[in-house]
Amino acid sequence: MQNQEKELREFLKGVPIRLIGCENGNELYANADEASFPTSMKLLNGKGFTLISMFCEEKFNSSRFTLFYVFERELFDDVLVVVRNLKSKKAASVMQIFPSASWYEREIMDGFGIEFEGNPDKRRLFLHEHFPRDFHPLLKSFRNSHIKSNNGNKAEYMFKEISGEGVYQIPVGPVHAGIIEPGHFRFSVIGETIYNLEIRMFYKHRGIEKLAEGKTPEYCVRIAESISGDETAANAAAFCMAVEKISSRTPPMRALQLRTIFLEMERIYSHLGDLAGMAVDVAFPVGASPFFILREKILRENEQLTGSRFMKGIMAIGGLRKDVSEKAIKNLRKFLDAFEHEFEKALDVVYSSPSAIDRLETTGAIKNEIVRPLNITGPAARACGFQKDTRKNHPYGTYSGLKFNIHTSENGDVMSRFNVKAGEIMESVRIIRNTAQNLQKGPILSKARIRDGHCLSLVESPRGQSLHWAHIKHGLVYRYKIRTASFCNWQSIEHAVMGNIVPDFPLINKSLNLSYAGTDL
Amino acid sequence: MIKPIQNIFTKKAPEGFHFDDKEFAELGMKLKKNVSSVFGRSLAIREVDTGSDNSTEIEMVNLTTPHYDIERFGITFVASPRHADALAVTGAVTRNMELALKKTYEATPNPKIVIAVGDDACNGGIFRNSYAVCGGVDKVIPVDLKIPGNPPSPKEILKALLALMEKIKKRS
Repeated sequence: MQNQEKELREFLKGVPIRLIGCENGNELYANADEASFPTSMKLLNGKGFTLISMFCEEKFNSSRFTLFYVFERELFDDVLVVVRNLKSKKAASVMQIFPSASWYEREIMDGFGIEFEGNPDKRRLFLHEHFPRDFHPLLKSFRNSHIKSNNGNKAEYMFKEISGEGVYQIPVGPVHAGIIEPGHFRFSVIGETIYNLEIRMFYKHRGIEKLAEGKTPEYCVRIAESISGDETAANAAAFCMAVEKISSRTPPMRALQLRTIFLEMERIYSHLGDLAGMAVDVAFPVGASPFFILREKILRENEQLTGSRFMKGIMAIGGLRKDVSEKAIKNLRKFLDAFEHEFEKALDVVYSSPSAIDRLETTGAIKNEIVRPLNITGPAARACGFQKDTRKNHPYGTYSGLKFNIHTSENGDVMSRFNVKAGEIMESVRIIRNTAQNLQKGPILSKARIRDGHCLSLVESPRGQSLHWAHIKHGLVYRYKIRTASFCNWQSIEHAVMGNIVPDFPLINKSLNLSYAGTDL
Repeated sequence: MIKPIQNIFTKKAPEGFHFDDKEFAELGMKLKKNVSSVFGRSLAIREVDTGSDNSTEIEMVNLTTPHYDIERFGITFVASPRHADALAVTGAVTRNMELALKKTYEATPNPKIVIAVGDDACNGGIFRNSYAVCGGVDKVIPVDLKIPGNPPSPKEILKALLALMEKIKKRS
């Protein structure tokens, strides 16, 4: 670890930022001067850093507002956190250098009222029209409560339009035809071919980050579980890990191992839903049914293990809230043997159907060039050939001691994502089996006082890397920032659908499996 | 080439799976009788998500998958509120979805039933006092049935639908 930090420091020579030091094991902090800020950003981009998150905190230090830019680079386990203290409510935008900053800057503009000069998109992001004009919910001066809707300001949200002969628009949503979450899609098409897609999200904005403020960290685990239902374990584990790091409290080995099992179970059922969904969306229910059947079996296993089909209420700061019986573990191992065989058979049904494969291949391709600028993560990035997996790049829990492969594919299309997800299911089965075999006996919770401090934690949820920032002050949550994988990957869909036909949109959407709840917060 | 041909003639993969959930099947048959007498033949439900954490959606989808296959009991999920007898609303109603929910409700023909599915839909859950939500579904449109749970399991949803049908039957 020490070497890592040294190497990263060496690598950053020439960038005009002041390195402060490493915290929580793998967060290298640096201060940036306002004057040299754009230069530093350009140099970081040139050195191959990816902006993986950006967020704001009020009164972090003596400045009123502090912006945090979190960077990741291949080969380094450490993440770089550039701290930018603002003197006014204005800041220079970095979206021209890091396009992924566009949504972050709009998010911060809504939450804190900070204006980003140079970001041409001044539209609000998570606050829709009926919220009053100067309303910024994440300011500490705003006490969380119901607010009066602003009926006077019903200005229409302006979508980007493309015009020309034969171009027409198709508005879809927020209420969709299927049993699915709400969001709005605005297609510009000629005939059936998509020439532009603009998405509008945040219909499900529930104010999660504000809700967490002032709550006890224990209560906040419950909030983390409600971010996105099918990423319950990943989000809860990420929050717990952050608080554990702050409090220098390592959960017992058995708890860590069980967490790994839960996280991989979650990956399996989430991916199974995607494989089934892709088959449904090419009108191939015969291929979808076996995956649905297997997913139901996994959900039932989850219930046996944790008491909840979605593994809610099991994670706790310092370990787990309850233990898993030996019998349940034995049954799980037996179940996995049968599962593996059934899953292979189910895959065979799809792989031996040329008409299904024909729909999956070349559809919804994500180009390699956009993966780093937009910070595309998870299976979507791996399907483009990127060896990106938080479990390997920034190992947590028991993952550093586990042997497993990263599955990648080359073409970035729906077929590649199907292959990657299928491969990951098999890999997860191996991880669970291995962990269950070597499961240690002992306590499942380590008790210690929760200390004040702040920490970043990264997990690989089924959808990709999720980042959680927890800041505890006087024993209560002062700021909780969540950036899920979906928040990044939603922006890839606008690129993935270009040149495809409208009827393939549901398929492309399903293959990316984006969480609306996890994005809208 | 052999694979696709084999695939046409051999047993279909789902045929190899066997389910035996007697309790669910019995409940379903009861529900079918009730649906038949209350709605003539079938009950059409339109699902609207107004701010759930998506696990409730997964359980609703599960009702249509092979284990549960709720269509055999005369219940279908339809694509438009204009085709629906009932709305199943999930999640606390966010401010950003308030208008969409009202419009969906207005688009549903009378007489209509509204079912709130999940704790958040019932009373707003942990989001009750957030600036970004209105509260439970009943804060925005009239609700006929509340199904608690985080999320309710497919069986619990089915049981609640049965109770609702029996209630409507008594009323008429």
